[in-house]
Amino acid sequence: MSSDQLLSRKFDKLLVANRGEIAMRVIRACHELGIRTVAVYSDVDRHSPHVRYANEAYPIGPAPARESYLVIDKLLEVARRSGAEAIHPGYGFLAERAEFAQACHDAGLVFVGPSPQAIRVMGDKQMARQTVAAAGVPIVPGTPPGLNDDELLATADSIGYPILVKAAAGGGGKGMRMVYRRDELPGALAAARREALAAFGDGRVYLEKLITEGRHIEIQILADVRGHCVYLGERECTLQRRHQKLIEESPSFIVDNDLRQRMGAVAVAAAQSVNYVNAGTIEFLVDRDKNFYFLEMNTRVQVEHPVTELVTGVDIVKEQLRIARGRRLRYDQADIKLNGWAIECRINAEDPYNNFLPSTGVISTIRLPTGPGVRIETAVYPGYEVTPYYDSMISKLICYGETRAEAVLRLRRALEEYRIMGVKTNIPFHQHMMDSHRFLTGQFDTRFVEERFSMDDREATDDLEAAIFATLVAHRQGQQASQIVARGTRDMSNWKWIGRWERMRG
Amino acid sequence: MKYITTVKGQEYVIEIDHDDQIVVNGHPYNVDFQQLSEGGVLSLLINNRSLEALVEPRNDAWEVLIHGELYTVTVQDERAYRLARARGSGPAVTGEATIQSPMPGLIVAIPVSEGAAVRQGETVVILESMKMENELRSPREGVVKRVHATRGATVEKGQPLVTIGDAAAQT
Repeated sequence: MSSDQLLSRKFDKLLVANRGEIAMRVIRACHELGIRTVAVYSDVDRHSPHVRYANEAYPIGPAPARESYLVIDKLLEVARRSGAEAIHPGYGFLAERAEFAQACHDAGLVFVGPSPQAIRVMGDKQMARQTVAAAGVPIVPGTPPGLNDDELLATADSIGYPILVKAAAGGGGKGMRMVYRRDELPGALAAARREALAAFGDGRVYLEKLITEGRHIEIQILADVRGHCVYLGERECTLQRRHQKLIEESPSFIVDNDLRQRMGAVAVAAAQSVNYVNAGTIEFLVDRDKNFYFLEMNTRVQVEHPVTELVTGVDIVKEQLRIARGRRLRYDQADIKLNGWAIECRINAEDPYNNFLPSTGVISTIRLPTGPGVRIETAVYPGYEVTPYYDSMISKLICYGETRAEAVLRLRRALEEYRIMGVKTNIPFHQHMMDSHRFLTGQFDTRFVEERFSMDDREATDDLEAAIFATLVAHRQGQQASQIVARGTRDMSNWKWIGRWERMRG
Repeated sequence: MKYITTVKGQEYVIEIDHDDQIVVNGHPYNVDFQQLSEGGVLSLLINNRSLEALVEPRNDAWEVLIHGELYTVTVQDERAYRLARARGSGPAVTGEATIQSPMPGLIVAIPVSEGAAVRQGETVVILESMKMENELRSPREGVVKRVHATRGATVEKGQPLVTIGDAAAQT
């Protein structure tokens, strides 16, 4: 533990350097622990609930994140003005930027997360691979970064196709390309470099063997400042589209106790190889023979953390805060038991019937599902505008059941109860998935959604009912309009009345 | 009142003459239709089958949300329906199709050029929005008549991007 890299001490006021549902999640955890909260908001987020739920709120500039949520100086200035002693970065934005963690440290603020050095190592895919491999963690065969195209082409032959082109500074599928034949590689390299350069300002790419029929399974860990580290079981995140996770569950259909223990031990070793502190996630690719390979470590809280919370009973965000306050982890590995099953659906503003195109607009109505086993994390509200400035996730719907079957049935019920109008959402996609035989029997891999799952065979059967509803509403509206026009105008035609009214307006 | 209501290209003739009965394509249904004060919620009992929906007007049509699915429904009374028919605004399969930007964003690429033949479903524009690249596809087979936008340009919602027309029709 390099104590000069990490500040941990008791704090009573925390700045949440984020927005949306994760800002709400952090604020709630703080308030449960008696920590006062400071929110920051961009010009378009003044009405967001995180502003209202926090104890204090400060504006930090225009809607584009690079002019507000990504400006380190503005955040530190708000911390100074408000007297916040700690910063929680949430996920996205600055959460995995080592210079932000360092700047917090330099300003005497507790950063709720690992050391800048751990973020730096794990944030560089190559350094991460080398570091964890040295600690005995299995990695997927691939190349180092920084090779030119000729060298990559040559190495690709020895690794064998299919192959994955990945950005050295990448994440979230950006700068990533699948290549099945040698002649596709030069084009894929150019596209990946262009995308990586635009997204991360770093066009370096590397190659990795593509594991087909692979599953994406990750292990959640918690580590305290004394180096005590436990794993909280796995999350199955195989169902993705263009490398964006859509559905996550815990436990995984294919992980048994033996595999869980082996993956957990390796995850802890990977975390300890960088003296990791706080909550983190080690992502693995698992092939059909249940060999598992390190993909990357996410040095922050994950979007999908609630499924782990529901099956372990551990409040991960509160543990993050306790760890950052310098407290000893309250759990030994033997205390961690998985109980029941939890599944999360990410509700995004996108049209599943039109190639998942993002749907912008103003949310007019929201009514959330409730009842047993249903948890919702959201920060949108009627009047909220879905803009291109921030990502399209509008809510997370998480259902818990004693068994996987019960969790699925609850999700079906909750998805049906979910009412949102004004933007299109991917709720029908989730409904279709919950009806799919492959999902129910756990038979899917990371390419299932894109290659073998179609909305075309979904039969939305309420056409007639929709017609009746719309007609009744239109009829009632027409009647009301004619009553207004007709009132007190017995001797006058409606046309005359309208004409008179028009003249009055003019 | 008689209405012609269209859902997914399917027309329903719906007659509403009483509060508690409607006739759909000749079949009578007992209905109890209630508008709740709570946030636009509608409750409908059709022959005692209970349904809940949200209905909101959008772009000359109604959006109806039932059981998680969103339906776009147009409702015309008989007169409006006949007028529309007379003007020939029926489903036109010929003619030019202009792909408009479905949202504000940045043009990443336009993989087709003017004069190029395209298949239905072929990607004609790659638009970046919400940190994602989105492929916009041609709604029909034909020839690229016009490219309205350029690579790297920022576009607004509804802005025309590419027009596809008939191969034969020279203008």
